[in-house]
Amino acid sequence: MSVQIPAASPGEMAVPSAAAADSIALHGVDIAYEREGQEPLLVVENCSLSVGREEFVAIVGPSGCGKSTVLRAISGLLRPTRGKVLIHGNEVVGHPAGVGFMFQRDTLLPWCSVEENIAIGLELSGNPQKDPQATIRDLVQLLGLNGFEKSYPSALSGGMRQRVSLGRLLAYHPDVMLMDEPFGALDSLTKAVLGRELLRIWEAERRSIVFVTHDIEEAVYLADRVVVFSPRPGRIVAQHRIDIPRPREARAIRSDPRFTHICEQIWDDLKLPTH
Amino acid sequence: MALENTDIAARKGRVPMVAQRIILISVLLTIWELGSSLTEGEFWVSRPLLIVERLITMIQSGELLRHLTATLVEAGSGLLLAGLVGIPLGIALERFPRVAKLVEPIIMGLYGLPRVALAPLFILWVGIGLASKVLMSFSMVIFVFLMNVSEGVRSIDKDMLDLMSTMRASRSFVTRRVVLPAIVPWILTAIRIGVGLALIGAVVAELIGSNQGLGWFIEKSAGRLDTTGVFTGLIVLMAVAMLANFMIVSAERRLLRWRGNSR
Ligand SMILES: Nc1ncnc2c1ncn2[C@@H]1O[C@H](COP(=O)(O)OP(=O)(O)OP(=O)(O)O)[C@@H](O)[C@H]1O
Ligand SMILES: [Mg+2]
Repeated sequence: MSVQIPAASPGEMAVPSAAAADSIALHGVDIAYEREGQEPLLVVENCSLSVGREEFVAIVGPSGCGKSTVLRAISGLLRPTRGKVLIHGNEVVGHPAGVGFMFQRDTLLPWCSVEENIAIGLELSGNPQKDPQATIRDLVQLLGLNGFEKSYPSALSGGMRQRVSLGRLLAYHPDVMLMDEPFGALDSLTKAVLGRELLRIWEAERRSIVFVTHDIEEAVYLADRVVVFSPRPGRIVAQHRIDIPRPREARAIRSDPRFTHICEQIWDDLKLPTH
Repeated sequence: MALENTDIAARKGRVPMVAQRIILISVLLTIWELGSSLTEGEFWVSRPLLIVERLITMIQSGELLRHLTATLVEAGSGLLLAGLVGIPLGIALERFPRVAKLVEPIIMGLYGLPRVALAPLFILWVGIGLASKVLMSFSMVIFVFLMNVSEGVRSIDKDMLDLMSTMRASRSFVTRRVVLPAIVPWILTAIRIGVGLALIGAVVAELIGSNQGLGWFIEKSAGRLDTTGVFTGLIVLMAVAMLANFMIVSAERRLLRWRGNSR
């Protein structure tokens, strides 16, 4: 069973509504890419979404449906063709403060070592640190990168690079974390470990997370709410509140009937024909 | 750390590259020496032993040092100046694409100009002294810096820059931490190509008007039908270019360690 949610209606479950409490709000957003000599390509259509200040939202959807594009619009990297994007109630102009982005692609600086890359997040965060070296050491430890502090990205595996990118994001310490398939290049074990760490960090210090993934179980395990996108042009076809209490246990949750039920529903949503 | 090429060669029992090169050069020199003395070609192409002899006398008389220093100062200043102007200008052109588009035809026009033909003009403008040679070298090399640096800036990963702007990095932060490190390989390539061109510029300017320098020495020797002198000058120029190249390669190794051994 899945639910078609029109732009304004809350649909199956109540979407948090108090606008002031939302750190991200999209109102009727269309995004089209200009193309030379062709019609603009409509990628996101009539997307309305809000994310609470302490909410963990996961986005799932087929490849090419505009998930990364939505994150780019939230971070101010591109302007929607129609509609509005608000961060903390203010319309996005330029690049809003306190929004950290972890790209789908590796964007580490190749000439900076692991520690230096993480330090960049710290430097740009603007919070003066009592002991920046200690903060970096803690992050390196947390992400299991010990012994590679001085290595350059060219000497790291894909999964290690993703962990360094996550370290840089955490060092930047944003109120809003946009994570575009952050664990895409990881094996399931490391993925589980880092997912657990991410939850631990977030539970200790709640903030908004928008987490794009193509792994439905990962989405349901991590998030408070899973938003399902249709194929391009991406529209929100369903939203599922995940009421499984926290702290969640990665292994145990997989046999929880609520977990399996929601996963099945999302599978159905994704198979749903768009018209 | 992966094995260096030479280590692998040594393990496989092959002669290391340096030795192979020395052998190749010795063989070429021997052919030259024998060929020249057996065929009476000495007048046209001289002989390695004569050149060595000449080198020794020139070193002893201090003549070599005088000419070498003159040419090195000219070419070196031209190269340095071209870098100092070309690197910031190349970055600026990428930052202001509309200006870049506006001036592009002019730059390409100047680049297409056979700059050797400008030498007499330079001498007219700034006289026969050092300045005209530096200007000549500069005019040869500036375009290499300009184009390499522009290309380098253009090739920077757009996502990397986008990520920096999501973290609201200032323009100077991005320049220092992203743009400059990213173009270091391009600058090194520009220097590598530029060394040869700077030497050409200096030598050409010397041919046209000077009283010292390797170019002038070659010209003077040729005027006296002294082929050994000509070849001595050429060999010294070649050695300078080879040495410069070697220095750049070792600088590259140190500066670009982050690229890893995977290349
Ligand atoms: N800069 C661009 N110019 C033109 N089209 C673009 C651009 N970026 C993305 N697109 C198009 O927009 C669509 C959505 O892209 P987007 O990267 O948002 O997809 P996605 O949902 O993140 O997919 P994936 O799961 O594969 O990462 C794609 O069809 C893509 O071809
Ligand atoms: Mg994507």
